Amino acid sequence: MSRLRIAELTVVLTFLSTVVGQNPSYQLDPDWRPSEEAARKTNPLAHKSQAVAGGKKLFLRNCAECHNQDGSGILKKHSADLQLAVVQAQSDGALFWKITNGNPDRGMPSFSKLPELERWQLVLFLRTLQPPSGGP
Amino acid sequence: MTSIKWIVALCLFARFGVLAGSAQESPYFITYDHHMEEPGNLEIEVSSTTDVPRSGQRFYFAPWTEFEYGVTARWTAELYLEGQSTWDDSTIFTGWRLENRFRPLKREHWVNPVLYLEYENINEADRIQKELEGGAPDVSSPNSVLRSIKDRELETKLILSSDVHDWNLAGNFIVAKNFSQSEGVEFGYSFGVSRPLATMASGSNCRFCRENFSAGMEIYGGLGSTHGFGLHDTAHYVAPVFAWLVSDNATLRFSPGVGLTHESSPVLFRFGYSYEIQGFGSKLSHLFGGKP
Repeated sequence: MSRLRIAELTVVLTFLSTVVGQNPSYQLDPDWRPSEEAARKTNPLAHKSQAVAGGKKLFLRNCAECHNQDGSGILKKHSADLQLAVVQAQSDGALFWKITNGNPDRGMPSFSKLPELERWQLVLFLRTLQPPSGGP
Repeated sequence: MTSIKWIVALCLFARFGVLAGSAQESPYFITYDHHMEEPGNLEIEVSSTTDVPRSGQRFYFAPWTEFEYGVTARWTAELYLEGQSTWDDSTIFTGWRLENRFRPLKREHWVNPVLYLEYENINEADRIQKELEGGAPDVSSPNSVLRSIKDRELETKLILSSDVHDWNLAGNFIVAKNFSQSEGVEFGYSFGVSRPLATMASGSNCRFCRENFSAGMEIYGGLGSTHGFGLHDTAHYVAPVFAWLVSDNATLRFSPGVGLTHESSPVLFRFGYSYEIQGFGSKLSHLFGGKP
């Protein structure tokens, strides 16, 4: 294989490895559930659409490494595809609880170090994640 | 380097270099809270301790490098490499320490316990003063004398930490046993409180927004040993702490500590710069052909 071929292959593999790897087969962990009280909490920023931009910044900073930049998850990391209906059907309070507590036995860390409102900003941003048209 | 090697190197950088991120660190230097390193992430930190010496003592500069790795979401391991340079004396390597923190509970609670276990192999010339237990460190004797006195120590801490309305409150209770000397079992403490300056993220990528800064206060010191428990001959400090998230992956920290007893230095200055690499473990494993 010529050196040029190796260089081309490296470039292609590099970019493919960052793009490929969505996790549409993600299934909820039945043991990872908030209490009813936690699930009932409402997002105090629900009507502040301007807070979404901050949520996106926080998502890219804290979550994209495992959940992909578009939230579609990464198969080899077994991380949730946040675009899936099974995730989006959860209440704001449930998503907030999951961000706060994490699921350490499945590799999801707790993000309680983020201020409460920043975690609600993340929930607000998660609601904007949609599968690409024609997707699952 | 040929152009092909440059392309390959650039791609490797693109693959690994962009992994840096999520460096929202606590501003504490001494106190540990319950927030662990994210699994697979490596944080590299370069820090230093310097003081304003009392008359008859010499100025010193004690840097250390810290490699903090998230083994799992509930287990963080750290390696420290430490040195020291004293004015009009010498610059020496003072030793290393290996520490582990375990979080026994899965979920967030009002008070979150973390168990800490550390082995250190340092010498008496070590002055980073990462924790104070027992009596005050010797800052008067020359390095040539101090470096020959070994400190092989096993140290445990009970870390209790709580997040209350964006404030973090943390307390560490230290028990240490030096196997190289007959000092008995030594005790120490540290407490910290901190808060980010803003609790919502702005949409812009700003460096000087309030959300990128956090501030707080620490108080720490020694409590003697089983040979003499109490505040006698011990050093204690109260220290404001400040952290600035310079970029997504880097944090600068600063803390000027004020000594509270005659055994303490009048003022301790601490500086730190940390850089976090996300997914370091899995990428390294992948590089060597391991399964993800």
